[in-house]
This record gives sequence, structure tokens and C-alpha cells, in this order.
Amino acid sequence: MLNRRDFLKLIGLGGVSTGAGFVLKEAMEPPVAKLIPYLVPPEDTVPGVANWYAGLCTQCSAGCGVITKTMEGRAKKIEGNPLHPINRGKLCARGQAGLQVLYNPDRVKGPLKRVGKRGEGEFREVSWEEGLSILSGNLKDLTNRNEAGKLYLLTSALRGHLTSLLVSFMDSFGSSNYFQYELFNNSNLIYANSVTIGSGAIPDYDIANTRLLLSFGADFMGTWLSPVRYARSYGDMRQGRPGVRGRFVQIEPRLSMTGASADEWVPVRPGTEGILALSIAYLIVEERHYRGADAKRWMDMLKRYNPDEVAGEIDISVRKIGELAEEFVEGGPSLAIGGDNLASYDNGIGNLVAVNVLNYLAGSIGHKGGVLLNGKDKTFKRKSVPYAQLTKLGDSALEGDIETLILYNTNPLFTAPSGMKLGASLENIPLIVSLSSFMDETTGMADLILPAHTSLEDWGDDFADHGAGYSVATVMQPAVSPVFDTKGVGDVFLALAASLGPGFKKDFPWRSFGDFLKDAWKKIYRRNRGSGIKERSFEDFWSRLLAAGGWWTPSPKISGAVNLSVGKASSHIPSAAAGFDGDSDKFPFFLTVYSHSAFLDGRGANLPWLQEMPDPMTSVVWGTWVEMNPKTARHLSLKEGDMIRVESPYGEIHAPLYLYPGIRPDTVAVPIGQGHTSYGRYAKERGDNPLAILPPRVDTRTGALALNSTRVRVFKSTRSGKLVKMEGSARELGRGIVQTVSNKEFKKMGKEA
Amino acid sequence: MKKVPIYIIVAVITFAIGYNVNARYFSNRRPVQPIAFSHKIHAGDNDIPCLYCHIYANKSRVAGVPSVQRCMGCHKVIKTDSPKIQKLTHYWESGEPIPWIKVHNLPDHVYFTHKRHVKAGVECQSCHGDVEEMDVIARVASLKMGWCLRCHMNEEVKNGKDCWTCHK
Ligand code: SF4
Repeated sequence: MLNRRDFLKLIGLGGVSTGAGFVLKEAMEPPVAKLIPYLVPPEDTVPGVANWYAGLCTQCSAGCGVITKTMEGRAKKIEGNPLHPINRGKLCARGQAGLQVLYNPDRVKGPLKRVGKRGEGEFREVSWEEGLSILSGNLKDLTNRNEAGKLYLLTSALRGHLTSLLVSFMDSFGSSNYFQYELFNNSNLIYANSVTIGSGAIPDYDIANTRLLLSFGADFMGTWLSPVRYARSYGDMRQGRPGVRGRFVQIEPRLSMTGASADEWVPVRPGTEGILALSIAYLIVEERHYRGADAKRWMDMLKRYNPDEVAGEIDISVRKIGELAEEFVEGGPSLAIGGDNLASYDNGIGNLVAVNVLNYLAGSIGHKGGVLLNGKDKTFKRKSVPYAQLTKLGDSALEGDIETLILYNTNPLFTAPSGMKLGASLENIPLIVSLSSFMDETTGMADLILPAHTSLEDWGDDFADHGAGYSVATVMQPAVSPVFDTKGVGDVFLALAASLGPGFKKDFPWRSFGDFLKDAWKKIYRRNRGSGIKERSFEDFWSRLLAAGGWWTPSPKISGAVNLSVGKASSHIPSAAAGFDGDSDKFPFFLTVYSHSAFLDGRGANLPWLQEMPDPMTSVVWGTWVEMNPKTARHLSLKEGDMIRVESPYGEIHAPLYLYPGIRPDTVAVPIGQGHTSYGRYAKERGDNPLAILPPRVDTRTGALALNSTRVRVFKSTRSGKLVKMEGSARELGRGIVQTVSNKEFKKMGKEA
Repeated sequence: MKKVPIYIIVAVITFAIGYNVNARYFSNRRPVQPIAFSHKIHAGDNDIPCLYCHIYANKSRVAGVPSVQRCMGCHKVIKTDSPKIQKLTHYWESGEPIPWIKVHNLPDHVYFTHKRHVKAGVECQSCHGDVEEMDVIARVASLKMGWCLRCHMNEEVKNGKDCWTCHK
């Protein structure tokens, strides 16, 4: 029956199948997982249940409130704080990406001291004690040599109590050289408002309730002032009032993301926006829509802006100007706003004043749906932020007046036009200390890096611009424990103060910046009792404050009519179009640079989520591009994706070409934000920085940097590079994707139905 | 060729043996834990309620393994001479958590929450078996979708058959 061979075969088969059964079962099992308990469970944590901490978004200066979801001590998601009056629970993409600031693999993970030559990027890790003692030793030296005034401090435009700590530190030390720099700041707007409507506080532009919005280059849904808030207002303007749909006209040489939502785009010639505003104003007065006693004097002043005279210069037809004027006065309320693009010419102030004149003559100031004036913010005094401060810093450095420079949260080597030659000036400073958490361009030049916490790890607060229509104080608290070996900025300065001797220590008795902040808030608690959060004791107030994420109350509105005199206006309005470097024969194109909706002034470029986010207008990712009108490109025999060399009198950049019908044929546009030479793996060596070819041209009145101030020429570049974009074609190509009917057809359809 | 049936029979039987040997003696249904903890002694003989140690079961998705501190709360004084407890003390003193092996492990695509089940009055034993009689903890339920659904349907759980109830 069964012979020996068969028997052995069967045994073999049996062995193999047993093994197969065993292995199959093994493969079906999920892998072994461990269950690690806490040693000692933290009090306020339930595993699996999220804790939310209120805080502040620091990705731009709008000052939105956030809440951060943390689970088992880790930050998982950032959302808008629903109680916060600025963003009311919403958040923009930059705010969302705040999480990647915290967990960025390119953060400076602990104090570093330079070992190689300056700027070569060679550092050695040091302890906090050593790092702080290097700096405090240096500061003591300065005091001993009687050179305390040679300590300079440069930060971003901080607005909270951190500023007061820094100011008093510098005061106690004996230096008056605390500067703030920010590429996009509102100094021109503040100046223009204070000379025309008498209040430097940013007014509340009541977009939600207006019927006609004339936006002069304001990208208010992307980057201007308070984008999240104004995007909401825009929604209300269009759909928030039954039966009323506000009309919206965008006036700018290059159509921005906000402009794409407008009913009409008016592509005015760069630098003449203010003149357009005044010629509209002229028509308003001429048609007797302005009834003030001084109408005659306005008329005289505005005469030279008669559309018949200026239409050619601003490149808008007389008829169009007439239509705009008519719309602006009929069926109000109407509102004109002037944005960054308008403010960034060398006649920026004049342009903004012109916009205010327009509002004034149309009676839009101080009325619902117009410009609502805010009273001066008494809670907190803030430093002005002109570019002039940076220029001064550069000059002092050049003259050898700076011995020690401390930098925090600012990257001027990237954000200042290279025409300013800041890098060379900084070379003269013997000790540069950066408190940055990232190896940005300026930090790369530092001799000592004492990395600061990011906003989810630190205490802080912020007094947002009054534009919100509210007095807003937002508090920031640590949502997670520090991920790396970093310290809070405030704590660094308190530690320095402690090491500078007993006299100094007496002025700064706080153990931590958290204590300092709490103390500072006691003052607000006492002063503002009765409004906002009401509590009997400070401790209760403080904990409710932290739970709510801040304190706010409708801001004091200025009542009473604003009187803008002809004289005041006439001394500020633009007498001519803005000036541009480079003559028009050699450099035929205007250059418009604008802040990228994700990277802003370049600070967001190290966050992979933002790098991956397609630009809303072009769908380009991962690089810089040059926008040019298809007609111009055809004329120059260039096609989309070609690498282009953009040349100004100050230098050249290279980037691929994007054909953009939303730009004037005589203008090219390049977004700011890319082109970092360091700043981490995601930002480094991606695209080119258009700031590198700008002249250091400023507004003559405020000294604010004029970004739109040069002409350029373009050539095909010999470099290689790719345009990476999500869209296939921006054209419908007969596919009928967007169905449209003309007005006439629509009316006919109505009759037939 | 007439021997083929024998081959098949032998193969099937031995396959089943292999499978079951794994399931019974090597499975992580009943893994060997770092400390031979007995639920029988705690929950059975001494009648300690489940929620005394698994403190999050009525508050969170996870029931929570007791923290080492909680174990030590009793075992600072109770049975300190037992070698198992000395092992526990060693973990505590060296500041290390005990690396328990997970017995009830759901894949990531399943959203399960203890809180809801406890609040709905489901006995711990209906899924975990008679834990109070187990010297070594073992998984008694398959934790497969069909098993979940059977109960959801018998009890007529609201939205109990909706995909999104458990997969979200
Ligand atoms: S607008 Fe965006 S980036 Fe700016 S504060 Fe608000 S959420 Fe943050």
C-alpha cells in the first residue's frame, strides 16, 4: 500500500503544510503593539481627548486669534478662535501652517556659536549658560567702555508687552537704539490718515455695508491689513444683505487674487492711481455732488486732474472715469480703499491721501458702509515702523557705531532691497546675535544664535491694529512644551538683565516672562474694569482671559464730522505720477512686485504646506515666476515656461514666464517670497528674490520703501528651470466650463419665460 | 495518481494543526506580558472595579492603562515581598513605564470609543470576556467588523450600521 517513499513524501508534505498554516496565521495577526502607560499621569490630560489652548497667530500682523488642539501634549491642529472679533473662528492658510513652524525639522535646536568665517554657516553647539555669558560678557564690556549706546536691537513690528520689556531693557542699559523693521507695514497709511482725517489709527473700512467698493490695489482678501476679517466683510457685502449685492471695482495694473473677485478690473498705468482717484474726485465736485462751502476751492485745486487732461497719462478712457465717478456718488454708501500696491510707489502717501480725498468728497467718511474712524489706541503705544529705521541702522553699522546687534524675528538681508547693501554694512559689526529659531539669511551672518521659542511654546500678547473696529488684546500661552532647547525671547532678556549686576536686576525682578506678562496685565485689569471680561479678582480675570484668548471691546469711535481742508489735502496729493528708476527706452516695462499670498515677505517659504499650496491666480508651486501679458510675450516671441532674465538697473533675476492676461502689456510682475539662500531645506534655492533688483528708493515724505519703483527689461535666459503649475490651461478652449450669457440675452430669456 | 486524495487530506490536516498551534500558543491573543499581572486577583478575588484602574474608560476613546504611579499607590505596602511586585517597584524606581503588550488592538481605520459604550451601559465583559477570572489576560472576541455589527444590530444602535459611525 503505502511504500517507504510515499511515506517520506507525506511526512515532507505534512511538515510543509504545518509550517504554512503557522505562517499564515502569523501573517493574519496585526503586528504586536505596545501599550505604554504614563509613569505619573499629568493632571489636565486625558489620553484621547483634546485640550485646546487659545493663542495668537504670528504669521502676519493682522493678529488673528487661534486655538490649538493638543493631544497628549502635542499640537495637532490650529483653528481660528471663534470668540475672537478679528477672525471670528476663521484662519487663512498661513495661519494653518503655523503648526509647521513648531515642528519644522530645520529649526535651530539649541544655542550655536560661530566657528568658521562669518557667513560660512559653521557653528558649534553651546549650552545656554555659555551662550548667555558670551552675550552678557560683551554687554558688560560695552558698559565698562562707556559705549552702551552701541548696542542695537532690531525686531519685527512687535506690538505686545514684549516690546515694553525690550524698550525698558534698552533704556536701563543706556541705549536708545531699538529699531523695528517689517517689509510690509502700514506706515504710509498711518501717515496719510493722520494728515487727512486726523487720526493715525487705522480706520475700520466698512466693506460689509458698502454698495460700491473702489479698491485701489488693495489685496484685502490675501495680504492687506487683516485678510481674514476683510474676506468675511467681502462675503457680507455680496450676500449678507437680502436684495443688495454690493458692487466691487478693483483698480490696479496687475490683477490680484482679490481683484479676481471684482465685478470690474480697471488696469491703470502704474504710479498714476492717485491721479485717477483725484480725477474721479474732480468729477464729483464738478457735478456738484459735493455741497460743502469750500466746493469752489476744491474745484480750483482739482482742476488739473480733469479727466480730459489726465486720461492719457493714467491710460483710462474719459468715459470710464466718468462712469466710476457717477457710480461712486450714486446710491451710496460707497467706499474707496488704498492698499499696499498703491502705497508702495514713491508717491505712496500722495496716493493714499488722494483716496481719502475721494472718500471725503463723496461723504463716505464716518458713515456706515464707508470709513469708520477709530479713536487713538490708548492701551498701548507702539513704535512706528518706517524703512527709515533700517536705513539708519545700516548707516550706523557702516560708520562703526554698532558694537553689538541683537536680532529677533526679522530677516532684513532677505527683505531689504539689495540696492541698500545692508550685508556689507552688517560686516562691520563685531558681534551679531540672532534670537531666531531658523537659520535665515541674516541669522547665517550671526556670531551667536540663541534660538527663541515659537509662538506655540511661548507667552506673549498682541494689541492688533484698531482697524478691526475693536480694541483687541490677544494673549498667547504655551500650548505645548518646547520641542527643542530654546528659550522665550522675554526670558532671554530677563536672564541677561539678571547677569548685568544687582542694579539692573532690581529693575527686572521677574523670574520669567510669563510672570512679567501677568504683572503687566494687572494694570490693564485695573484700568479696564467694567468692560470686556468682568471678574472680582485678578486671578479669575487672568484665567478667563487665557481661556478666551484675550480681551476685546468695541473701539472708541471718533464722532463728529471730519473736516479736511483744501490746503491740507493739496500739500500732500501727488503732483505727478510715481518715479521709476531706469529710462523707458532701455527698460521698457514697469516692474510690480507683490507679496505672495502664502509666503508674504518670504517668511512662509520654509513651510512645506505653503510651498505646496498653488498660488491662487496662477496655480504655480515651488518657485518664482514672471507674469507677462500674452500679447507682450507674443511680441517678444516668448512662450509660457521660457526662462526669463528680468533686468533692472540694479541687477537681474531669472524665473520662468507665466502668461497672465490679468496684467497690463507694459508691466511685468514678480511675487516676493522665494529665492532664499538659506532658511531651511524647503525654502533654500527655490526661485529668485525680486527684492534683489529693487532700487533703495523711498517715499519722499515718510522714508517708507517704494517697492514699485523700477523699470525692467526682459530677455530669454540661458539658465534652465521649470514652471511648475497645477492648471493645464487657463483657457476654456471651447469646453464651455463656465457658462455665460450676456446681459442682453439674459433679459430676453426673462421675457420669454 | 490514486494517492492524490491522501496527499490532500494530510496537507489539510497538518495545515490546520500548524494554524492552531500558532493561534493557541503563539498568538498575541494571549501574549506574555512584562509582568505576569493577574486580573483574577485584582478584579476577581479583590473585587476592584474596572474603572478604578482604567480611569479614562468613561471619559475618552481609550480606557487607559493604569499609570505606574497608580500601581504603586497600593503596592508600596501590599505584597512587597513578591518578586513580581519587586519587578514593578524596579520600573517605578528607575522611572520607566511598563511596556505592556497590547491585547485588544484595533486598526487605525476603526474609530472606537470606550466612552460611548460605557455610557450606554455595555458591560466591560461583553467585549473583554470574563476578565475577573483570567490569570493571564486574553482576547476573547474577534474584534472583526462582523462581530461589532452583530451587537450593533441586535441592540438596534442608532446609526449603528452607518459606515461613518466607525470609519471617519
Ligand atoms: S491673516 Fe492669516 S496669517 Fe495673518 S494673523 Fe490672520 S490667520 Fe494669521
